[in-house]
Amino acid sequence: MHLMVSKPQALTSIGPMRAFTSNSKKISTELIEINELLGEFSQYYTEYYKQLADTWSVAQNKVNKKSQKVPQDAEQIDSLKRVWLDIFDNDFTELFDSGKFGENYGKLVSKELELTKHWNNITNVILQSANLPSKEEIDEVYKEIHSLKKRVAKLEVELKKKERVKNAK
Amino acid sequence: MQSETNIDPKIIEQVLKFSKNVIEAPKLVSAPDEISLEVTPYDVVQEVDKTRLLHYTPLTDKQHKTPLLISYALINRFHILDIHPEKSWVRNLLEQGFDVYMLDWGTPTSMDKYLDFDDYVNGYLDSYVEHIKNESSAEKISLQGYCTGATIATAYTTLHPESVKNYIATAPVIDGWRDTTVISNLAKHMDVDKMVDTIGNMPPEFMYYCFSVLKPFEQGIEKYVNFFKNIENKKFVDNFLRVEKWLGDTPPIPGELFKQWIKDIYQENLLIQNKMYVGGQKIDLKKINMPVFTQVAVGDHLVSPECSMPLHYAIGSEDKTLRMYPTGHVGMIASSLSQKKVLPELGKWLLERS
Repeated sequence: MHLMVSKPQALTSIGPMRAFTSNSKKISTELIEINELLGEFSQYYTEYYKQLADTWSVAQNKVNKKSQKVPQDAEQIDSLKRVWLDIFDNDFTELFDSGKFGENYGKLVSKELELTKHWNNITNVILQSANLPSKEEIDEVYKEIHSLKKRVAKLEVELKKKERVKNAK
Repeated sequence: MQSETNIDPKIIEQVLKFSKNVIEAPKLVSAPDEISLEVTPYDVVQEVDKTRLLHYTPLTDKQHKTPLLISYALINRFHILDIHPEKSWVRNLLEQGFDVYMLDWGTPTSMDKYLDFDDYVNGYLDSYVEHIKNESSAEKISLQGYCTGATIATAYTTLHPESVKNYIATAPVIDGWRDTTVISNLAKHMDVDKMVDTIGNMPPEFMYYCFSVLKPFEQGIEKYVNFFKNIENKKFVDNFLRVEKWLGDTPPIPGELFKQWIKDIYQENLLIQNKMYVGGQKIDLKKINMPVFTQVAVGDHLVSPECSMPLHYAIGSEDKTLRMYPTGHVGMIASSLSQKKVLPELGKWLLERS
């Protein structure tokens, strides 16, 4: 009876589902952390668009003050367009150049990267459950290849130098 | 009751014409893949990993003795230096009798994320300089670096001064703290360790974002309005599409290289302080003692003149020239001004030393 019951379990012990089931806790943890992170992410995301919207409204007010009359001909439209472009480009460049924008943008990107990291962790769990190498393992291989290439290149340079000395003799 | 309208008929005419141009645009312009950015013929004379060394076919019977190698930037591709026969930097130099080589950094993949400054300076660039020296039998070469390519070339010139006869720094990225551009502001607030650890190479999309915040309305709206206004002007459209195709084609930047570039140049500003290390060797700008020609664009909104000019004052050379041009980052290398002013001055300077 015991053998009959345990057989189906034994059958799945090497399959992807067993590994996936044992790793589901990891995935749930990652999803909970992603959820918490999304709150912080949206805080910076909102601030990002608030800064853009505020700058837009200030720039538009400046344009309105500078050209209070409705343009009547093509030349006036052209000059209004020039004023609009200059003011908007100046104001937005000032924003993008400011510490408050740089700081918020830096944090926004940082949170986005943390979200990516959690997503990578989930992907790694799935990859491992399918008996495939994780991102870190692939990175290790890349690092090793890079280091080997570097060593080979240095050896080639050394060899060429020795050949040159030999030929000179 | 009769309604009275004050709308200038010219405005209606312009709106109708503009709408017609927008509708007819697909019939009048080529698709991006129909445009070839390969203008001046060249041979690929060496390849190392994904990078290539291009040797342009001479346009004169005799060439000056010292070959010139151009180290192009890491952002976008070398085509801007040969974007159009009438605005080609390369063609102009070939016509002046110079033997021109170009370094194509290629397209790094995820596998290349560990490539760093050392690989670019002491690996690829050094390997190509040695190749040119062997091929041309010249003991030294002239080296030109453009934008971030000039940062790499500057590091190379300090570490291998015995191979460089003349150095030309065009809009070089040198003093990150003095840089007044939006790019430097974003770079200063970037958690570059986290960025590279998480995503590896710097994706082109991120580069596009950084460029989109530079003059966003002029570049994002006015430029395209002008394009549709001039849709029947073949020369204008051809030029516009070439530059657009070039702008839309930027390769990823290897993660480790990007990390060192942002940290050492923009965040800690080590290069100008002679505190930057490449492959375990210190980059001492005082070791640059060959003739140096620094070219700076006053209206450069990618690499501000304040970021480039300190090179001129930091190097050890006695024979050094600094030129400032009333143009922008791309205007300095691919415009009628570059053909009429920048290149003739460079050619004269280089000829006297080649």
